[in-house]
Amino acid sequence: MSFVIATTLDEALAALSAGARPVAGGSDLVVGARHGKAPLPADLVAIDRLDDLKCVEITDAGACIGALVNHHTIETHPVLSTVYAALADGSALVGSPSTRNVGTIGGNVMNASPAMDTGAPLVVLGAEVELQSVRGSRRVSVAELWTAPGRTSASSDELCVAVHIPAPTARTNSAYLRLEYRRAMEIAVVGAAASVTLADDGSVAGVRVALTAVAPTIIEVTGLGAGSIADVAAAAANAAAEQARPISDVRASDRYRRHTVGVMASRAVLAAARRASGESIAIPVNRALGIGAAS
Amino acid sequence: MSDQPASSTMVSITLNVNGVDYPVAVDQGRNLLSVIRTEVGLTGTKEGCDDCECGACMVLLDGQPVNSCSYLAAQAQGKAITTVEGLMDGQEMHPLQRNILEDGGVQCGFCTPGMLVSACALLERNPSPTEEEVRIGLSGNLCRCTGYAKIVTAVQRTAQELHP
Amino acid sequence: MSSTTTARFVRADGPDKVTGSGRYTADLTLTGALVAKFKYAEVSHARITRLDVTAARAIPGVFAVLTQDDVPDVRFGPFVQDRTLFARDVVRFEGEIVAAVAAIDVPTAQRALNAIVVEYTPLPVVNDIEAALAADAPLVHTDWAAYGAADVLVRDRNDASFASIAKGDVDQGMADADVVVHSRYVADGCHAAPIEPRAVVAQWEGNKVTIWTSTQVPFDARAGVCETLELPANRVRIIVPHLGGGFGGKCGFHYEAHVAALARATKRPVRLVFSRREEFLAPDRRREGIVFDLQTGVTRDGTITARKVWLAIDNGAYTADAGFFSQLAAMHALGPYQVPNALAEAHLVYTNHQPSGSVRAPTAPQTCWALESHTDEVAAAIGMDPVEFRLKNAVATGKEGPSGQVYDEIGLVDCIRAATDGAGYGQPLPDDEAIGVAIGWWPSFSVPSGAYVKIDGDGSGQIITGAQECGTGAVMTLRQLVADELGMQAEDFELVYQDTSVAPYDMGATGSQTLFNNGRAAVAAAGQIAEQLRNLAAEQLEANPADIVLADGAASVAGTPSRSVSIAELAGIAAGGELLIGHGSGAPPAPPEVVGATCVGDVGMAAWVAPQFSCHAVRVKLDRDTGVARVLAVSTAHDSGTIINPIGAQGQVEGAVLMGIGQALTEGTRYDDQANQRNAALLEYKLQTCADAPQIDIRFIEINTPDAGPRGAKGLAEAPNVPTPAAVSNALAKLVGAPIRQLPMTAERVWDALNDRSAS
Repeated sequence: MSFVIATTLDEALAALSAGARPVAGGSDLVVGARHGKAPLPADLVAIDRLDDLKCVEITDAGACIGALVNHHTIETHPVLSTVYAALADGSALVGSPSTRNVGTIGGNVMNASPAMDTGAPLVVLGAEVELQSVRGSRRVSVAELWTAPGRTSASSDELCVAVHIPAPTARTNSAYLRLEYRRAMEIAVVGAAASVTLADDGSVAGVRVALTAVAPTIIEVTGLGAGSIADVAAAAANAAAEQARPISDVRASDRYRRHTVGVMASRAVLAAARRASGESIAIPVNRALGIGAAS
Repeated sequence: MSDQPASSTMVSITLNVNGVDYPVAVDQGRNLLSVIRTEVGLTGTKEGCDDCECGACMVLLDGQPVNSCSYLAAQAQGKAITTVEGLMDGQEMHPLQRNILEDGGVQCGFCTPGMLVSACALLERNPSPTEEEVRIGLSGNLCRCTGYAKIVTAVQRTAQELHP
Repeated sequence: MSSTTTARFVRADGPDKVTGSGRYTADLTLTGALVAKFKYAEVSHARITRLDVTAARAIPGVFAVLTQDDVPDVRFGPFVQDRTLFARDVVRFEGEIVAAVAAIDVPTAQRALNAIVVEYTPLPVVNDIEAALAADAPLVHTDWAAYGAADVLVRDRNDASFASIAKGDVDQGMADADVVVHSRYVADGCHAAPIEPRAVVAQWEGNKVTIWTSTQVPFDARAGVCETLELPANRVRIIVPHLGGGFGGKCGFHYEAHVAALARATKRPVRLVFSRREEFLAPDRRREGIVFDLQTGVTRDGTITARKVWLAIDNGAYTADAGFFSQLAAMHALGPYQVPNALAEAHLVYTNHQPSGSVRAPTAPQTCWALESHTDEVAAAIGMDPVEFRLKNAVATGKEGPSGQVYDEIGLVDCIRAATDGAGYGQPLPDDEAIGVAIGWWPSFSVPSGAYVKIDGDGSGQIITGAQECGTGAVMTLRQLVADELGMQAEDFELVYQDTSVAPYDMGATGSQTLFNNGRAAVAAAGQIAEQLRNLAAEQLEANPADIVLADGAASVAGTPSRSVSIAELAGIAAGGELLIGHGSGAPPAPPEVVGATCVGDVGMAAWVAPQFSCHAVRVKLDRDTGVARVLAVSTAHDSGTIINPIGAQGQVEGAVLMGIGQALTEGTRYDDQANQRNAALLEYKLQTCADAPQIDIRFIEINTPDAGPRGAKGLAEAPNVPTPAAVSNALAKLVGAPIRQLPMTAERVWDALNDRSAS
């Protein structure tokens, strides 16, 4: 049993290689242990002081977001909140100001919850996760990373060190919305992210849509193509409702989820298209446009 | 319905709470809230749930709001921890404390310490928040008594006093 | 009379609360204290076939494991004695306590719980209120007929308390109607959910026990300990540190006896602190679910000719203080209307759910929701504006209510006008917004209450009261009442409260009764000191006591302010002779008579002293694609008599309205098919956040109420919780085109109603 506060990445990777579990903000781990989901691991390595993992780098190639960047940083980052807007929409909806302060993108991604608000945005933005271990480093797409609720394809000695998002092409932008029953402290009942690229005539040239909390993992909607914005939004709604595999639970029935995920998909396409056309919609879309809009 | 995860590794750490160092030996699984309330002996910080859903346990870690119920005590070493007891300047109340009291934003008072800590963090980050920004800034702190109206008023009044 | 507290009200316990120095029960530690933990049934209906605590007792660090075998075999309950401290033979809901452990620390206590062996044979689960009333329904209590119970209760099998109110000829009234509207509504149960989970600390010294506990009703808690542990009242001392909210959830007698029994068995102090999950599952103070069947006959001109209501209340597994709910709900289902022919029948039904109990205006918000939603249906059926319909039919000064009570001066009609004015009712609104209006009422509870006041030799005073402060500020307001009687300042008085061995009886922070009754007591106590001061001053100033005026901290001769002596000086003189000590109770106003109605199961709830009235107008916005609704603005008007403390009064309205919005939209207990709660956590049981709270406009209709409390005050803590869900409902019904028939009106239920509407 051990508790190590890592001061360098090598120290952290060595501890993981020796069987320790990483803890960044720790919320999921501590709450999970207290509620009997999983005992607190015997060996822990605190990684929250690895400052190298707290940087956001913006280059022509895209964004590199260190694994320890928290949601508050993402939602207020001048580039992430404009160019990679869906991700900022998602981060801005996580829990409360304190959980957005403690919660990190790396912790979120590796927790692999199908209800995570940053998940669908990362899918439509084409994100890859950089995993590092004493054996070396590799990148996997987020879709390959998530295998089941709470499960990833990473091995236990691998640490998520960064999330890489390619730079969007011209006239492209994104948005994420979720269905929520109150305006804060929520978990997505369902959610949808869209990334839209507009053609010169203002129609949709390309679109990606991903869905939250309607399957064991975040899923991407398939079969969407070009068309007018209204047609693509309608197609996204239908395809989302068809391809969703929702469950019924205390938050919603499967049929309500199936319907509302279509609504969210359509709204995400419309908001992403407006952003792609150059319009500014404040982060998060839920509060800028939705029923939760400030009155 | 256990308070604490079962684990049994003691770690010796020093916690800096409101500017005072407290050397303590605690189990590595202990949350920061219970150590502040027990070993450190400051009970102003409250436990209302145990999973980041109510905000009664809010403290500042290096100036940032954190739900201390879900944060490992061992991980807080080397960081400056501020609790509601640390908001006062000697015997003088912080303007937020005075205003929330005068504006009627306190009823049962159980959410008040966490609410004050969140409000403090909010004004630190955003000295002149709009009403909407105050409401979002305090949205992680549940209050069952007041309907929040007078709390929001007090925070806005404080912002105006501090940054007229 | 007008508002009397013009200065800014700063609550006496406020500095403690904002600095973190105030101690709540869970903040207390005593040397050597052990940790208490409960073993819960975790099944909702079963017979215990084996209960073995031997292994648990053998664990090092475990000081006691108690079961029903270890405490006096007493059945208790304020209305029906249907419960024991620990389960005996049968468990009837998941949160029932089977055993209690006292151990050196939490992990050891947890290991002891795990080592307790309990085996069960399942019994049929009673999970549905209406099904429980069927003749062949499984019984929750097979021995129900043998239980002791209050004489007035009418009981039959799973029906723990039947009440009816009958007036006139309801069949003839229906026959005289042009239209009869028939509605069914179902309200789910919900929770008080104070932010402080409850805590109890007990310590014995000799044969006396002191119990620090987070109760709203210390004298009730004492009575429960005395009854179940067979102790006289003077050996049980209940002290309530700061109380972190209650809303009724901490009324009644809960775990004080369990912890005291553990402390006695271990000869150590014992400390119990609930987790949030326990707070959801275990206490017998959950807001009751109710099924409603409502019929109203009305003529084309909008006159109510008859109303017939049937309702069944979920009592849960044991009858806590819910014995009076049937008659109270019957009154709310008939409503504050002039109804010439009325019949209400109400059942309180055992199920295998968590027991129900008084949560902020018990039975009222959900019954008001059903009746007022129905009332909008009635108005629509005759093509009348629902506000106009209410103005025509609401009870008013000199008019007769549904149970035959004729009302003295009341302000309901004024409330309707004020709230609708404040909301801009009738203004054009966007297509996705609507304003709903509802009216409500609530009794003032006239009960005995006591307080002492003393002024020491330096002129500083203390108010020693049995009243309990739960956050509302009602106890804090006593300082102003006493100071005004004595010509002193509120700040001249400190409050000593919530200690049953120090102060006289008070019913506690329940029934919005503190100011109404304990205010009367405190004023009476102060009056005795005022008389002493006048006599002393008369001697000093060589005047007639009747001419002495107490004002501005001094006693002076009327008309000659220069002939004056300070109260501090008088107090100094008194300290050398007859001490300044006052005690007060005052006679509670007598309840009004019920005339012209026949009440079965009468618990005194069919006629109300100093009734409070309210109207809320709520503007709601609806996302028709998802059913998600948001309350944008709430306009409220209340007749709660004179408002003595405006800031405190506004705080009650603001808090109650937001609680009401939660009840309307997001707060409701979900049960699985085995009667276990599915959402016993704050993430799934959603309280409204700061970001959800709308603007709230508050208007008080202050009228001269006969038989009210001090200065014409009535109660206020519960009344504003009554009509909010109903007003939200009536706004949603306009937006959907049909009422939402189940409470809470969740987004999915609204969406279902939208679908049903578009399908039909």
